[in-house]
Amino acid sequence: MFRGKPTKAGPVTESISASPGIEGGAGASAPVRAADAGAADRSWPVTGTPFKNRAEATFLVSAADTLLLISLFLIVLGGYHIHAMLTMGDWDFWIDWKDRRFWPTVLPIVLVTFPAAAIYYFWEHFRLPFGATFCVLGLLVGEWINRYVNFWGWTYFPISLVWPTALVPMALFLDLVMLISGSWIITMIVGAMGWGLLLYPSNWPILAPYHLPMEREGLVMSLADLIGYEYVRTSMPEYIRIVERGTMRTFGKDVVPVAAFFSGFVSILVFFMWWYVGKLFSTTKYMAKI
Amino acid sequence: MSLISETSAARAGAEASSAERPIFNPVPLAIGSAAICIWYVLVRIYEQYFGWYAGLDSFTPEFQTYWMTILYIEEPVELISFLALVGYLWKTRDKDVANVAPREELRRIFNLLSWILVYAVAIYWGASFFTEQDGTWHQTVIRDNDFTPSHIIEFYMSYPMYIIVGVGGFMYARTRLPTFACKGWSVAYVLLFVGPFMIFPNVALNEWGHTFWFMEELFVAPLHWMFVFFGWFALAVFGVSLQVLGRVKELAEGAPIPAE
Repeated sequence: MFRGKPTKAGPVTESISASPGIEGGAGASAPVRAADAGAADRSWPVTGTPFKNRAEATFLVSAADTLLLISLFLIVLGGYHIHAMLTMGDWDFWIDWKDRRFWPTVLPIVLVTFPAAAIYYFWEHFRLPFGATFCVLGLLVGEWINRYVNFWGWTYFPISLVWPTALVPMALFLDLVMLISGSWIITMIVGAMGWGLLLYPSNWPILAPYHLPMEREGLVMSLADLIGYEYVRTSMPEYIRIVERGTMRTFGKDVVPVAAFFSGFVSILVFFMWWYVGKLFSTTKYMAKI
Repeated sequence: MSLISETSAARAGAEASSAERPIFNPVPLAIGSAAICIWYVLVRIYEQYFGWYAGLDSFTPEFQTYWMTILYIEEPVELISFLALVGYLWKTRDKDVANVAPREELRRIFNLLSWILVYAVAIYWGASFFTEQDGTWHQTVIRDNDFTPSHIIEFYMSYPMYIIVGVGGFMYARTRLPTFACKGWSVAYVLLFVGPFMIFPNVALNEWGHTFWFMEELFVAPLHWMFVFFGWFALAVFGVSLQVLGRVKELAEGAPIPAE
């Protein structure tokens, strides 16, 4: 019904091809120039130039890039933020959830998703090595605005209770491995493992004071625990706080490295899957009908 | 805005007019983005005052006055706006979209980029700002109703608004751009607006779960994971951007560009 009356029927096909590489075009170890956007078929005829001159063409091509980059940032921000807050949000919202077991385990695993997909898109199609940092900056913009305007501004929690997890060092590591190695396999193994390992040390400078022990009415607890007890969240009571559970207590102080290595291991697997998710959503195919 | 060409003379006249106008007009983009942002800032100020004043107990008359009234107004307004926009875009469609002149096609591509950017602004407010805001409100205040102050804004205002803009952009592309109208249905663009759209019907699961299953607002609870699944579809903006840039490249390289 929507279809017009084409003078030349365009084939239903991809207009942009991925660059060649191992695993069927999923990146290469050797530096291979990325496929230009629109370099493949000319399935729809171009009957003349739309530009009056080269200056106008230069301006408009740059304008198109800029508009799309801003759109990408905001849309990825929205998608990544809703993914993040509903898979690891409680550990990120509150200081008394930032424990030594679940926080360094869960966050890297669920957060490596969008960066892996974005690395596929930016690296494979544009040879731009900032996919992970692009996603993480978007997420942090969304989180910081919310923590100030809503957590503090509407429901009056102090920022010391609700600061979001620092993620930029992890993202930079992931992107740097992609840039230096030029290989998505190496990025998956080395980068995603580093992504998992770096969460705790990246946040330690701000987190350490809150994990100091203190005594209150005969009970030993951390400063983070006390802040949590003081600021009661009525619809998220203490009995559903998921922290410091499990037999890993047996290992005493060494639980964080174990959690981080496990997290890094699973991040490798998640990176692998989400590289292909990025490829799936970068499709330029057309369907004959829906 | 559109070129409705019933005759070749009309088409020729439209193309002559098209050649004179600038390709990228940022005014609609600026107005659309600013209107959404200013509106939501005003909404946020309203929440600040009337959330605490009249939003704590849904059985009070104040709640009915200051919150349920908004719900009763916004729902029909959104439905009417949606139908009006879709109807307008269909009514003013280009009936000869396969033969659009290159300059006019590029202008429409920039119009589409403006649609996508306004969609992105609406997505930010809905999926990021008001969704995480819902977390802090519901973990602080006991819910006694499906229609809470944060839900009336988040689910029933910000989500429908980005759905309307998203469908509008898709309709614009399908009715005015050869790349999206004549080659078939863009898989990426279908995913880009259908996925985030499905977040809205998924509200039914959320409310059912909180009503019949558990009241606590553990944000990472499996009850919420379908929102996550549909949020993933936002990544389809990757494919849409490749299709748009691909066509821009085709237009740029399709014929020699005059030096001056």
